[in-house]
Amino acid sequence: MARGNPIDSVKGFGVTFKQIFKKPITQQYPEYKRPVYPRFRGRHRLHVHENGLEKCVGCSLCAAACPADCIRVVAAENTADNRVSAGERYARIYEINMSRCIFCGYCELACPFDAITLGNEYEISEYSRDDLIYTKDMLLAEPIKKVPVADRDLYDTPIPYYQEHS
Amino acid sequence: MSATELVTVTVDGREVHVPPGTGLVETALAAGVEIPVFCYEPRLGAAVGACRMCLCEIEGMPKLQAACTLTATNGMIVRTAQTSERAAEGQEATLEFILVNHPLDCPVCDKGGECPLQDLTFRWGPGNTRMTFPKRTFEKPIPISPAIALDRERCILCYRCTRFSESVAEDGQLVALNRGAESVIATFEDEPYLAPFSGNVIELCPVGALTSTQYRFEARPWEIQNVPTVCGLCPVGCNIQATTREGKVKRILSRNHPEVDEGWLCDKGRFAFTHLRARDRIADPLRRVRRRGFDVLSWDDALGEAAELLMQAQGRIVTALSGSETVEQAYALGRLMRAGLGAHTGVLPEETSPALDAFRLPLSAIRDAELEPVAERAPIVELWVKAARRQGAQVEQAGDALEGCRRLADKRNALGKSLRESERAILIWSGEEGAGGAHLAALAKELGFAGKPASGAFHLPCTPNGRGIADAWAAASDDEGPNPEPIGLLFVSGDEAAADPNVRALAERAERVIVNAMFQGLAVGWADLVLPGTSYLERDGTYVNLEGRLQRLRRAVIPPAPDELAWISKLAERFAVEVSPHASAVFAEVSERIYDGLPFGEVGEEAPLRTRSEAPAPQLPSEPAAEGKGLRLVRYRPLFSGPAVERVPELQFQRPAPEVELSPGDAGRRGIAPGETVTVTHNGTSLQLRARITKSLREGIVRIAAEHAGELGGTVEVAK
Ligand code: SF4
Ligand code: SF4
Ligand code: SF4
Ligand code: SF4
Ligand code: FES
Repeated sequence: MARGNPIDSVKGFGVTFKQIFKKPITQQYPEYKRPVYPRFRGRHRLHVHENGLEKCVGCSLCAAACPADCIRVVAAENTADNRVSAGERYARIYEINMSRCIFCGYCELACPFDAITLGNEYEISEYSRDDLIYTKDMLLAEPIKKVPVADRDLYDTPIPYYQEHS
Repeated sequence: MSATELVTVTVDGREVHVPPGTGLVETALAAGVEIPVFCYEPRLGAAVGACRMCLCEIEGMPKLQAACTLTATNGMIVRTAQTSERAAEGQEATLEFILVNHPLDCPVCDKGGECPLQDLTFRWGPGNTRMTFPKRTFEKPIPISPAIALDRERCILCYRCTRFSESVAEDGQLVALNRGAESVIATFEDEPYLAPFSGNVIELCPVGALTSTQYRFEARPWEIQNVPTVCGLCPVGCNIQATTREGKVKRILSRNHPEVDEGWLCDKGRFAFTHLRARDRIADPLRRVRRRGFDVLSWDDALGEAAELLMQAQGRIVTALSGSETVEQAYALGRLMRAGLGAHTGVLPEETSPALDAFRLPLSAIRDAELEPVAERAPIVELWVKAARRQGAQVEQAGDALEGCRRLADKRNALGKSLRESERAILIWSGEEGAGGAHLAALAKELGFAGKPASGAFHLPCTPNGRGIADAWAAASDDEGPNPEPIGLLFVSGDEAAADPNVRALAERAERVIVNAMFQGLAVGWADLVLPGTSYLERDGTYVNLEGRLQRLRRAVIPPAPDELAWISKLAERFAVEVSPHASAVFAEVSERIYDGLPFGEVGEEAPLRTRSEAPAPQLPSEPAAEGKGLRLVRYRPLFSGPAVERVPELQFQRPAPEVELSPGDAGRRGIAPGETVTVTHNGTSLQLRARITKSLREGIVRIAAEHAGELGGTVEVAK
């Protein structure tokens, strides 16, 4: 090993010494919640059309795309008395196992109807694994916990298609 | 074949040698080149060239050619889309054209993920659409039968379905209406598509235009497992794939065994699987309690109770078998009853004869035969016979089995004479009276079939595995015993036995009854102890089909209760008999005795037919004495009957109507017109049935489906 220059060591200590007088950047979570980027991938949402029909048709393409194999879709047929989605078929069961999800967003990419998207919420810990299996009702509802999102304009994030059209 | 008989074809610069007459699609495949197709399907007869997907450039021909309509000739130079710009352009244009009116609703389409149109568009089609006009729409889905839904928007008019209906099943019910761009697929006169083989069009359709109502929106190809097994609902033993998702069978697909089924299935095999989830399926052992009906028992208690009942009978036990058990199950039961309890009496619904082994042929031989006297049919056999007729074979209705045998054995009979001369003649017989084919074997011997490898005889039993069970039961012990009288205990194995009136009659003479059945409806009222049964889709084991082919059954789903082998083995333990609960181990034992030590692992996915064996001389039973006068009643089991079919809503329309079939002569003498209600009387009991005149029926015989025949039997009188 080459012998170090003693001057370099002193320089290094200099950097450390300077930090002592700087304001720390430690943030007090959960008192302070740092805004996430608008395109942060967190808890999923299922979306509905303006007329109340679900966008999801239960095609299982998201389940096919999911590398963690954590989506389960069981489809059924819409009837005249029970119309749930716009097409012939709808998702009777739609579940995401959040404890397995790696938040890659492939499901969002695969969905032909923009029915599933990843939201910004990341506070999804639970005391039991079972509670991490999100059902369709949970995914359709507004998330209970909210996470501040950084200014969209600041990050030049396009408004997602699903928020413009429905 | 010597090289001189082959022709040389160049496909994309690769030379291949194939027999002349080989289709160009297969020729290219032999060269390792794929020509995409939609409408081409050699099993449907001559190619029609409807879809134009297979366009290729062929040297010497100015225009692009549909490869599926051409055959290989010497020196032909073919360039497919891989090397020919023009062919690629042509195929892309074809796909664009097909997609002009195609809805592309793949996310809701049941074919999505296993759709040839998706796959071929992805690989050969244009990346984008230029179609900006609204697409043609139709009302959808149209239920063309309770089991099949038609979506006309998705149809690409390949005519596979209509060709199947017209020239394979020959029912002619599915037709193309209108011309050109207006063409649509429809059923004849918009009547429902009622035919025994209708389900095959679902599998033939290359798009999601014809789909199964049972499988509608049930699963996606990436969510399923396909289990290769064998259909256990009739003696043909068609090879099937059971598609399962989340531990449930979702659909049955064919698995082409070119010697058995050629990839076709009957609707019973395809749609009857929902009986696994029937409402009255038994999941726990039940014991009869006075007045209250049944009590649920734990398995321990049930086995204790069963052991006690078996013990109390002191060997005076009769076992009524269904004919749908696996070889292993029958053997295990045989070990328990025969070796453990000394009860050697087993009753099968039908006799079987090993003498037919000397005339063994694959079912596909029927297609290639030239002369076939036929009496009655089993489902897929009917398609083979139709194929033979289309190829110019002479198919003769020989009428009633016993009578026919006697007639053909006569040297003066014209048909009998040509049978003796023909090299490729096949006898096809069914019916319960033929002593399980012994008469047929005697006839085949008389006709000299033993020396002709392309001539043979088929007896179509009414049970799926009668032959295998009879052999396994016989192999279970070398001892013999007398038939017990009175019967101390009747052990009823399986649903068909539990539904059989003859078995019910035996039960009247038995002191106690144990029933092993799947459905509550079959066990209530007469069983002292009920043990839950399983179906062929829930068992591991082997079946022997009507050809004598040993085929492998695989468990597709876990049954709601332990399968028969598991508890037979536990029960046998109590009587100091060792039976393994695993099918492979039991088979090893059976195989040692009757299948020359064939290993379980070698009863493969596409089972070969065992070679013809030296068979014992057929044992002819004494002929039944003609009783009284009147009409002889033949009770038959129609294809769409039995405990499984009764529990499938989609198959209800296929079940036989309450009818009595009469010959024209008998009907005329009694002044009965077709469709009239007649009274059928026997020994004081009578039934009201609708009359139907069947031309092929011999005089003196009437036929009634077993489920409508009630208590009738022997000779009957029919009056208006
Ligand atoms: S984000 Fe990725 S891992 Fe999570 S559900 Fe979607 S596809 Fe699956
Ligand atoms: S979320 Fe989208 S991809 Fe997933 S099943 Fe529903 S429609 Fe299909
Ligand atoms: S038939 Fe094939 S291409 Fe057409 S909608 Fe269905 S899956 Fe898509
Ligand atoms: S319904 Fe299917 S099989 Fe029949 S013509 Fe249309 S695409 Fe072909
Ligand atoms: S496959 Fe050749 S025209 Fe359809």
